[in-house]
Amino acid sequence: MSLLREIRFTLNGVARQVSVPVTMTALAMLRDVLHLTGTKYGCGEGECGACTILVDGRSVNSCVMFAVDCDGRQVTTIEGIAADAQWQPLRESLVEHGGVQCGFCTPGMVVQASHVLSRDPHADRQAIKRGLEGNLCRCTGYKKIVDAVVAVADAGGKVAP
Amino acid sequence: MSPVTVARQSLIGRRIPKLDAPEKASGQTRYIQDIDLPGQLHAKILRSSRLHARILSIDTAKAAALPGVHCVITAADVPEQRPIGVNKDQLPLKTDRVRSYRDEIAAVAAESPEIAEAALGLIEVTYEDLPPLVDPRLSKQPGAPILHDRAADNVAMTFTYQNGDVAEGEAESDFVVEDEFSLHYVTHCCMGVSGVIAEFEPSGNLTLYSNTQVPFLHKREFAELLGIDPGRIRIIQPPIGGGFGSKLDIYPFEPICIFLAKKTGRPVKLVFSREEEFLASPTRQPVILRLRSGARKDGTLTFRTVRTLHDNGAYTSWGATTPFVMMQTFSSLYRVPHCDYFTEAVYTNNPYAGSFRGYGNLQATFAVEQHMDKLAALVGMDPLDFRLKNAQEPGEVTPQGMHFKSCGFKDCLTIAARRSDYADKRRQYEAERRQPGTVKRGIGIASMLHVGGGAKIYPSDGCGTILKLDDFAHVTLITGASEIGQGSETVLAQLVCEELGVPLDAVTVVNNDTDITPWDVGVHASRTTFIAGNSAIGAARKAREKILLAAAKVTNLAAEQLDLRQGAIVRSEDGQLLMPLAKMLRSLHFSDKAELVITSHYYEPPSQHQDKEFKGDVSAAYAWATQVVELEVDTATGIVRLDKVTAAHDVGRVLNRLGIEGQIEGGIVMGQGYALTEDLLVEEGVCRNPNFRDYKLVTAPEIPEMDISFVETQDGEGPQGAKGVGEAPAICMAAAVANAIENATGVRITSLPFTPERVYRALRAIED
Amino acid sequence: MSAIERYEVPRDVETAAEILRGGAVTILAGGTDLMPQSKAGRVSFGKVLMNIRRIPELMGVAEADGMIRIGALTSIADLLELDTVGRRLPVLWQAADQFASGQIRNMGTIGGNICNASPAGDTLVPLLVLNAEVELASKAGGRLVTRRVPLRDFLLGPGRTARRPEELLTAVAVPVPPDGFRARFAKLGTRPALDISTVSVAVGAVVRGGAAEDVRVAFGAVAPRPIRGPRTEATLDGRPLAKAVIDAAAEVAHDEVTPIDDVRATAWYRRQMIHNLTKEVLSHVAAA
Repeated sequence: MSLLREIRFTLNGVARQVSVPVTMTALAMLRDVLHLTGTKYGCGEGECGACTILVDGRSVNSCVMFAVDCDGRQVTTIEGIAADAQWQPLRESLVEHGGVQCGFCTPGMVVQASHVLSRDPHADRQAIKRGLEGNLCRCTGYKKIVDAVVAVADAGGKVAP
Repeated sequence: MSPVTVARQSLIGRRIPKLDAPEKASGQTRYIQDIDLPGQLHAKILRSSRLHARILSIDTAKAAALPGVHCVITAADVPEQRPIGVNKDQLPLKTDRVRSYRDEIAAVAAESPEIAEAALGLIEVTYEDLPPLVDPRLSKQPGAPILHDRAADNVAMTFTYQNGDVAEGEAESDFVVEDEFSLHYVTHCCMGVSGVIAEFEPSGNLTLYSNTQVPFLHKREFAELLGIDPGRIRIIQPPIGGGFGSKLDIYPFEPICIFLAKKTGRPVKLVFSREEEFLASPTRQPVILRLRSGARKDGTLTFRTVRTLHDNGAYTSWGATTPFVMMQTFSSLYRVPHCDYFTEAVYTNNPYAGSFRGYGNLQATFAVEQHMDKLAALVGMDPLDFRLKNAQEPGEVTPQGMHFKSCGFKDCLTIAARRSDYADKRRQYEAERRQPGTVKRGIGIASMLHVGGGAKIYPSDGCGTILKLDDFAHVTLITGASEIGQGSETVLAQLVCEELGVPLDAVTVVNNDTDITPWDVGVHASRTTFIAGNSAIGAARKAREKILLAAAKVTNLAAEQLDLRQGAIVRSEDGQLLMPLAKMLRSLHFSDKAELVITSHYYEPPSQHQDKEFKGDVSAAYAWATQVVELEVDTATGIVRLDKVTAAHDVGRVLNRLGIEGQIEGGIVMGQGYALTEDLLVEEGVCRNPNFRDYKLVTAPEIPEMDISFVETQDGEGPQGAKGVGEAPAICMAAAVANAIENATGVRITSLPFTPERVYRALRAIED
Repeated sequence: MSAIERYEVPRDVETAAEILRGGAVTILAGGTDLMPQSKAGRVSFGKVLMNIRRIPELMGVAEADGMIRIGALTSIADLLELDTVGRRLPVLWQAADQFASGQIRNMGTIGGNICNASPAGDTLVPLLVLNAEVELASKAGGRLVTRRVPLRDFLLGPGRTARRPEELLTAVAVPVPPDGFRARFAKLGTRPALDISTVSVAVGAVVRGGAAEDVRVAFGAVAPRPIRGPRTEATLDGRPLAKAVIDAAAEVAHDEVTPIDDVRATAWYRRQMIHNLTKEVLSHVAAA
């Protein structure tokens, strides 16, 4: 069976130590080993963004990331974003603007939007659309998601750390 | 002290966020993929590696011996299995023959998905190839391979409809046009892949965690398949990661998972990979459609002759029945005195089609609305005026028998045209075609008609409601209607609030467990708001009456003098607060006259079943829409970019503005994908692009500006006047895009999708 | 099932090279190609999986001796944020901007994009126009040796490069473009990014006194590997970038490429697009 490796990393602000097969994806580790199911499997090939997480502050597709590569890093999932008051306006904005329908893409959208806004708190509509280009949504037609993120960016100060 | 007064507050028409959205935005919602039961095994399915072949042998010994494997099954292990599907033409596990690459041959239940996957690789199957049939145009040719013994001509289903006499219509015509339209495979691409969990209790009762859109009808189907009493099946629907019609039929993975659960005595979970989702979930049906239409010089339509050939694929699911909806567009979107319609779905070794948002109407509208433009040009009328001249009006009963009691079609046409400045822009862009530069602008219009008040597809179209009022004025709405992300839960809660004068957070909706919820025929045909909404209103009105009668006794006023507002019982005439609703309900609970569980049902009454000739009124109400698309065509690359979509929809009445906008925006963008980017490439029966890299969904930067107007016709039968709208917005887009490309370039393209290469080729007038 | 026996995380190039010398090593950088390719069975793991992401020497961008050296682990997102790239190598910046999605740009590395050697590899086409060289390190005779190979010789075919199994790609080095050098990249697709290129074109030239010199043209997705277009370059070299010259060059480009039919497009369309994109990109270079 697959070679195991023990890794240590910070997950949503908490130090974790876990043993994982070296070919396991970060997504499988989060969902199946650590039971954090907010991060979704959508395609397994880095094409849909449903599995987006932050690693050292940058958004990545956890489905193409090797779990072992989390070693020593800061990993943030939707569960971390959900518990972070800084991102409450973003989550509320998605809800208020109707950016959520079936909701399956939503956790990835929230994480990616948080990344876009932390890089550029005043991002304009075009930059936000580009920022979300790697997150597929089949329900909403994106407009309300973009509106929601634009509203947060327009209120700039609200999301500053 | 002056009395406190309470104003009436209505939630109807307001922007109400979805009740489940906060949980979804926090990642807390547990979809089927997120559910694990104690002791659960994981299943995987082995599919055919041949297109069309006899199965000579299947050796599962090595797979069964792999550590961690609990069970390997083939058809031989489940002699009890029964055929499934609309024509009952396939077994979940194939016995001696495979007819497509998706065919299920064996399945494994193991400790982990990885072990199950590894075991699949150890199953040895030998085949003897049979001649393939991949072109539907060849299915009826003499000597073509016969796919099912029961259908020696390879015909899976036909539909015939006629009104008037098309020969007469043609004789009356000054202009006649005829074209062949060809429509491609697309698939639902729900972001949540398909999945199911099956668990048997020792008593033999089955609990199924399923994404089905039709839990009650599927109970019966599963029961037949398993030879058990339907009453022993409980279906729990966790939140669904998208439906769009893909979960309206039973597909083999569900019974297979049930068989494995039965054999192993353990809960078994089966979840697709994305590749499997592309290969083995249904598609929208590809169609070759020949349309002949005519008009008189004065701009009246005369006739339509329609012949369509549907590639049914290897087996029959709902896709084969979409001509039922398509014929409504041909016969009744505009007034056409003569119509002759014949469709045939033929078997091939290709993937098979299910239902998909719009149910054939995208294909029909694509053809009809292009012909409306062509005929308008021949007649010499503006395409808008030509449509207005032939458009249906309120009160009309069409030759097919549809009765348009409310009809905002003409308003949709004029509003969408006015807001987009259609007439002027159309002339301007046509004039600009000859100007230098590779980028040409165009504008195009298309309209649609779709059921909006339920649909009599099954013996009836009904939904039940149970309303439970607790002693703190909290309301539990238990409905048969499933939520698939479209927002029905929120709308139903709003409708109850409207009757009971309680705030939205006083309502909990329960809608996901067949052991609890009342009966319903499922989420399809844009029916939920209309049917389940009317059902919920019925229950809420009964509750209201009961409360007011009780309050009348306490207040010494007549029930008619009382109202429920903002969680209180008030005097209607001046809103004077009489008592909190909770207090009234508490006292009722402590009395012996409570009965605060109220039931109701709604059965869509006014429509009829169509007769054998498909004549009759299928829905209590009909939805109308017009969409105008503005775009740019880069003639150097063939790339088409959408700038703006102006949509006007007759929705009866807006209940939740946020929700209905979301439905329409999402539908427009789904229609954009159908028109421009999405293309499931099936070559020689093989799906060549089972991934999001090459099956291109529209992404955020590509969406057009959207201007949406609502035409509120206040349908007399609709809940608060509303009609269903779920499918409507996806239907006109491809047709409007086709007309806009023609406006931009002078080139009319009758095949979808409008990929850069197809458009470029058409512009270069080079044949495919 | 994986046959991996060891997982190594070297901290320096020397150690990495030592591990590579042992043979049967699969190198992990961003993982964006390796993970899906291995899951799909298109790549099988060696006995050793070596994660090179903890090697500081592979990071960063430096300029020395007329060369801009970009560390192999530089992510595509880094390229967009690096002033050196934006200012000195805008053609590479353009390609990085149109590369996959934000998430993949954050993960994917320039070294990985080069080693993956996709015929449609987005950074490869501008790097060819920039006359890039790859830097390869290995252990020989007990010491670390490096060699530099021009990118055009390094790329051999789909997924195939001139990297020897014991070598580690440590950097890509780009000669500082000459004064007056202008270059542009264009990729055909309906989306700003996320699309895998149907075709791509990069053109660079020094335009002096009306004439184009040092002309470099590269094409993506029209051959087994991204290629330079010497015949197209010859059509342009020393000539003014006038309409007739541009039209002639586009014709030559059309004939010079050897595309195939696949799910994304036919060969016919690809040739047409090479023609039209070459024209467009040349017009931009002329107008720059």
